[in-house]
Amino acid sequence: MLAVRNLRKDFATIRAVDDVSFDIGRGEIFGLLGPNGAGKTTAIRIVLNILEADGGTITYDGRPFSGALRNQIGYLPEERGLYRKSKLLDTILYLAEIRGMKRAKARDEALRWLRRFDLLTYQERKVEELSKGNQQKIQFITSIIHDPVLVVLDEPFSGLDPVNQILFQEALRELKQAGKAIIFSTHQMDQAEKLSDTLCLINKGKVVLGGTVRDVKRRYGSNSLHVEFQGDGSFMKSLAGVRRAMIYENAAELDLAPDARIQDILKAMIGKVEIRKFELLEPSLQSIFIETVGIPAGGTMLQGAA
Amino acid sequence: MIAKVLVVAKWEYLEKVKSKAFLIGLFLMPIIMVGMGLFSGLLAAREDTSTKVIGVIDASGDLAGPLGQRMEQKYLLSNKQPNYLIRELSVGKGIDLDSAVARANQLTVADEIGGYAVVSSHGAPDTVVEYRSKAVGDLLIAARLEETLKSIIAEQRARARGIDPAVLKDLNANLDVRMVKLSQAGETEESGFLKVYMTAYVFLMMLFMLIVTSGQLLVRSIIEEKSNRIVEVLVSSVSSTELMAGKVLGLSGLGFTQIAFWALIGTAASLEFGIGFVALDNALLLIVYFILGYLFYAAIFIGVGSPLTTEQEAQQVTSYLVILLIVPIILAMPAMKDPGAMWLKILTFIPFLTPTMMALRIPIQMPAAWEIVATIAIMLVSIPAAMVAAGRIFRIGILSTGKSPKIADIIRWARKG
Repeated sequence: MLAVRNLRKDFATIRAVDDVSFDIGRGEIFGLLGPNGAGKTTAIRIVLNILEADGGTITYDGRPFSGALRNQIGYLPEERGLYRKSKLLDTILYLAEIRGMKRAKARDEALRWLRRFDLLTYQERKVEELSKGNQQKIQFITSIIHDPVLVVLDEPFSGLDPVNQILFQEALRELKQAGKAIIFSTHQMDQAEKLSDTLCLINKGKVVLGGTVRDVKRRYGSNSLHVEFQGDGSFMKSLAGVRRAMIYENAAELDLAPDARIQDILKAMIGKVEIRKFELLEPSLQSIFIETVGIPAGGTMLQGAA
Repeated sequence: MIAKVLVVAKWEYLEKVKSKAFLIGLFLMPIIMVGMGLFSGLLAAREDTSTKVIGVIDASGDLAGPLGQRMEQKYLLSNKQPNYLIRELSVGKGIDLDSAVARANQLTVADEIGGYAVVSSHGAPDTVVEYRSKAVGDLLIAARLEETLKSIIAEQRARARGIDPAVLKDLNANLDVRMVKLSQAGETEESGFLKVYMTAYVFLMMLFMLIVTSGQLLVRSIIEEKSNRIVEVLVSSVSSTELMAGKVLGLSGLGFTQIAFWALIGTAASLEFGIGFVALDNALLLIVYFILGYLFYAAIFIGVGSPLTTEQEAQQVTSYLVILLIVPIILAMPAMKDPGAMWLKILTFIPFLTPTMMALRIPIQMPAAWEIVATIAIMLVSIPAAMVAAGRIFRIGILSTGKSPKIADIIRWARKG
């Protein structure tokens, strides 16, 4: 649905986005990852036509941006707020109407979402009377109420309690099933790992990693096998696909080559030793990214709480 | 395109109509207007309906007698009773002025007398007279006392030189200068200084309040949208041009609501109390300048307000604009003295001042037709230019957060777009 090619954006002294390319199809959740200040939000703003790119092209279903497209985009900005003094329902209706929705339809949809998020009784209240989590629900509603084709969520889970995180994740999966193209940016790797189909890690404006989650893991991860057994395990270091082995009394840690065939290894073990535990340890995205981006002096960048 | 502009306009209008700032502005202006009316009513000479007792303290002993006689004969109420009764409080050479004044003060405070005149010295060449009362605005009595005393002194001096007072009376023209203002159609209309002044003043204040309240509302809403980042949602939903057009339109609706409300109150008040405004026959022209000024300043407020990030900055900047708007109010007095002055004309041709200067000048003296045509033309050119520049600043400014940009940056945005 969305194709971004060689995107570039310069601010006064820095290149915020440098030669970034990615694709997102319908029914796909795309995770845009990176440490704070990596250029995620800038890239998102360019995709949304809020900022103009200094170079590169973006096409939406093969066409360049046009005014009509605005009605098919939903957007949840990173730093969030609403009109504090305005009423809940009024605010939702306004933001739906400027996306081209008819008022009556917008009202039906708004009430449906409010009911789902358990906020129906608040509809005539002022936004400022709501808790932060509830305000975030309202913002989420406003970003999807008009049934957009492309949904862009900048750090959708930050500041949410676990219950609401699950609520949002469910909603995201529904959107995916409904064939939307979804971009969400995050610096929480576990979220990205759970939700995204494809992802892209940006650091200092550049794409460092990209592809499907499995691809990324396969390419950059070094799989290791953890086995617990009874018997003599010394044969394990010479099995095909095992690069390195640490054999203990009743356990072994095996580093596997990328092309290792797990099934064959398991078959070879059966009969020779009595296996109690056979566990393939996949590297987490977290460890891949820390390895790729590196940890700057003075802090963890990927888990930053900001 | 238009549909979205209207959605924005409707939102801006409805949300702001409900805001406290707007409601305060809406009701404050009529209160100021009524206050002005009362004030001018106090100043303006009203005919008395009952006889007033005026005290006299005369340290010369020569003036109190004739003063009393003449005042009582000359000025009559509509029922032929004397308007003033002169009560001699203390008259004669060598009286104790201080104690006499102290006593007279007591009488005045106790409302036994309406006020009193003190002749502290009398002789050639100067006579010093003071009129004291509780109301400083007792201009009419002061003027009448002055006139009467003048003629008494003149007659006394004439007599001292052997001239017949009757000859003097012959020599003195009985002068009655009336203020008559010519209206556009050449019709004449009697108008007092105060009436003209107040009318000009009220129109200026109206325009001022109109621009300042809606300008502040506009800037405040832009800053709120910037600080809560709704602006990002807005500009991804509508183009910045649509957004700005919607804001200007909604705000104009707000302005018209204000004017309509004031006009309603004004009409009701003038029907009820019979207060007329000098400039009512020029109302249409004034409204033209109101609209032009409103639109021009809407652009200015957008251009100036959209790069700002904090409420404090906004207040600072709007206070500068307020100074621009207040210039003609300060100039009201000199403008009344010399409505044809060159500097007035020059100031009128500066777009920032044109609408307010015209609101000031029209009630005082209708400017020449060429001036009206030229200034309207200037505004019709300035408004689109200001809107385009404001739109360019707006587009970049609404997305700038953190530190407010420098003035040089803003000028660059306005030029390049």
